[in-house]
Amino acid sequence: MADDTTSDETTPRVSVLGAGNWGTTIAHLIGSNGFPVTLWARNRELAAEIDERHQNSRYLPGLSLSDNIRATADLAAAVRDVPLLFLVVPSQAFRSVCEQLGELVRPSQLAVHATKGIELVTYKRMTQIVLEETCLRQIGVLSGPNIAREMVEGKPAGTVLASRFPRVIEVARAHLKSPQLRVYSNTDVVGVELGGTLKNIIAIAAGMATQMDLGENAKSLLITRGLSEIARLGVALGADPMTFSGLAGIGDLMVTCASPISRNHRVGAALARGLSLAEAIESLGMVAEGVKACKIAYELTTQLKIRSPLMHGVYRVVHEGLDPRAGLGELMAAAVQDDIDPTLVRAAAKGA
Amino acid sequence: MLSVEQVAQVVSEVTGRIIERVSAPTLGLQAGRARSLAETINETLWWEQDRLSKADPTDEETIADKQFYADIRRQLPRVSEAEQRRLLERIVHRYANEIAGRFSPTFYNLAARVGPPMLSALLTGLSPRRLLERETIPRLEQHVIIEGEIANLGRLRERGTLVVTPTHSSNLDSLVIGFAVHALGLPPLTYGAGLNLFRNPIVGKFMHNLGAYTVDRRKRDPLYKQTLKAYASVSLEFGQDNLFFPGGTRSRSGAIERTLKKGLLGCSVSAYRNNLIRGRAKPDIYVVPCTISYPLVLEASTLIEDWLAEAGKSRYIIVDDEFSRWERWLDFLRGIFSLDLKIHIRFGHALDPFGNEVDGDGASRDPRGRPIDPRGYLEVDGELVEDPIRDAEYTRSLEQRILREFSTENVVHPTHVLAFACFELLRRGRPELDLYRLLGSVGPEQSLAMPEVEREIVALLDELDQRTRADQIRLSTVVGEAAARAEVAELVRAALRSFGTYHAKAVVERRGVRLHVCDAKLLFYYRNHLDGYGLRGAPTLVSSIGSGGARHG
Repeated sequence: MADDTTSDETTPRVSVLGAGNWGTTIAHLIGSNGFPVTLWARNRELAAEIDERHQNSRYLPGLSLSDNIRATADLAAAVRDVPLLFLVVPSQAFRSVCEQLGELVRPSQLAVHATKGIELVTYKRMTQIVLEETCLRQIGVLSGPNIAREMVEGKPAGTVLASRFPRVIEVARAHLKSPQLRVYSNTDVVGVELGGTLKNIIAIAAGMATQMDLGENAKSLLITRGLSEIARLGVALGADPMTFSGLAGIGDLMVTCASPISRNHRVGAALARGLSLAEAIESLGMVAEGVKACKIAYELTTQLKIRSPLMHGVYRVVHEGLDPRAGLGELMAAAVQDDIDPTLVRAAAKGA
Repeated sequence: MLSVEQVAQVVSEVTGRIIERVSAPTLGLQAGRARSLAETINETLWWEQDRLSKADPTDEETIADKQFYADIRRQLPRVSEAEQRRLLERIVHRYANEIAGRFSPTFYNLAARVGPPMLSALLTGLSPRRLLERETIPRLEQHVIIEGEIANLGRLRERGTLVVTPTHSSNLDSLVIGFAVHALGLPPLTYGAGLNLFRNPIVGKFMHNLGAYTVDRRKRDPLYKQTLKAYASVSLEFGQDNLFFPGGTRSRSGAIERTLKKGLLGCSVSAYRNNLIRGRAKPDIYVVPCTISYPLVLEASTLIEDWLAEAGKSRYIIVDDEFSRWERWLDFLRGIFSLDLKIHIRFGHALDPFGNEVDGDGASRDPRGRPIDPRGYLEVDGELVEDPIRDAEYTRSLEQRILREFSTENVVHPTHVLAFACFELLRRGRPELDLYRLLGSVGPEQSLAMPEVEREIVALLDELDQRTRADQIRLSTVVGEAAARAEVAELVRAALRSFGTYHAKAVVERRGVRLHVCDAKLLFYYRNHLDGYGLRGAPTLVSSIGSGGARHG
């Protein structure tokens, strides 16, 4: 097992696929731990910039990346015979990358993805896409309250690695852990994937609340009721309710709702200022995951008949042009239920 | 089929492996503390004493067992650790021998020759004596339709070892599979049959000769269960093709399995791994799921009663049911033959122990059909590595894949269609009732108007037709024709004839222009064959779905 973690060889035994800000950050953390690591970028110029100048000026301007990173635009070179792969590509491009991976990977390889999102139309989670497109089985997910910028600045943080395969956790953790990063394990892949995805919806609502100056009490109300909705949908999709009390659940939700620079937060704020969705996205310059996630959550909860007033409210503001103030009014006037939802109490008891 | 010498080798290999595992408790790592041999032996003594205290004290085997354990108990406190190991070896060896059964090559050779016609005779309800008198017998092959992915089975059998995994609704299943395997030109399969089958007055005498080994479900000693699993695993490693009923027991509800027992199923990956480690010439294990769909089920009444009584917590062992009564066999088979009913055996895609499909040459394919080497799933840096948690995960994937095959290869008979349609109408008519109240409320005095039932069937057939085109389920000939022509009269007639034939009461009966449900429980039973497909917007009533697999994995 020591072979997986020692770094005295120069051939990288780990690759990160995707050189956006989070992929680059993961490669940097691994490199900073002393492991040679290959970073794959779809864009040749970006790969060349990272490889030659140790910079990713597009996603992490001003940061000097670890010397242990070698970047390439050749997917095959980054994948073939590398024991551990991190997949960090946007959720809606995930399948097309996996289709290419399918031609390159072998059953012995391990893979961990760090993509927060669900595929539109199919509602598939990222691990499901890996299983559908490749022969990879020993897979997992990395998720948690991890703002890339803080991580590369060396600030302390915690994260969650979830897999049904202990070795996936063991090997991936060995590459990631450091005095600045605590890596917790979980076997509930579904819960960890959903926690990272659904929190983005609540973050949009938090953005609105901040913009409307509703105060801290309101924000706390939003976060906890939001978490309850996330957990209800999660449990219906096969997650363990306890996962949502961990770093990938409440942990991630808190950081996303607290941080005014998060994209979802900014979309929410823009909508509350009276902009349309198109204008909000325009002003942001990029799409926020929560915009897609609330559509998926709206469809899923409707289909599964799960009460989710908050997520539905966000959906209607984002996609149906409902006035955020009217949405707030509806939420505050709606029937009050139990603080702790009975379905969660039952699910927790069953799991125990 | 294994020779007598090979069976003896299997028994000693099984014993050796169990002893090795028990004496090296670090591998088990269960409660954190290594257990001593004496503790393991004491556990066996406790379980066996518990079982024997409830057994018939005059039974010869009970007396012999009691003597055996009394002897072990007497020696245990006085002996050294080495001697304890020998005591444990005696226990395991005895278990393994009992599982292997009294296998007689003379009998077996005879069975191999007369087996198939004998099976045919059993299944056609004739006593062997009448068979020997060369009476003409109904031809079973006309009533058992073998279909699906059968073209490559012979080739796969030559390249590796088969594990056939069927759905399980009747004790006739093992006989029907035995017949199918013979008809396909494959060598016989070995399988674990409950002790009650060996004591069955009709088939008991033939069980060993049909390749069965013994499973005594009354023995709850974990050591016995380990031995049983090792027996299946080692026999696979010896190249003996196996039959596993992965549902563990007959479906009580009439629904196809939606969850499987992972213990026995996991033997496929461990046998494959051991074969690789030992460098065996033909290491591959091919798992072959199949469905057995009966228009009528011999034990339907007993099974559904059991399901309703315990709602899923089945008694597990039903000793006295239709299967042990000649007259029920005769009625059943007479019904099958006189109405020209067909039993469908449909084979699904052959799989590797990881749940990947294999092609005709036995090569594993990834989900997009690319060839892969599954050995890699067990390797770390090119070395084969033992890892029970990892392998349990693979077995879970295999389970999911088998369940998918069960669901898509399930064959729908007219009885299922009529039962489903009638039940749906009754259920929709009384939405306020829960299942038990609903079943209790249905009596022969209530009836459904024929046109209403026909409309429901037309709509159901339409959905079934779409799903058949999408390869999500299969239709029997009569149902297929009815769906193609949107013509239900023939289907309803066929279903009513079947329902009026074998069961004590007609399940559904036509009186004028109305249909009367005379046996609500059996209606529910036959309806359940289509449970869990979401047909006609019906809720899933019996199939366990959701995260159950994850929790128990």
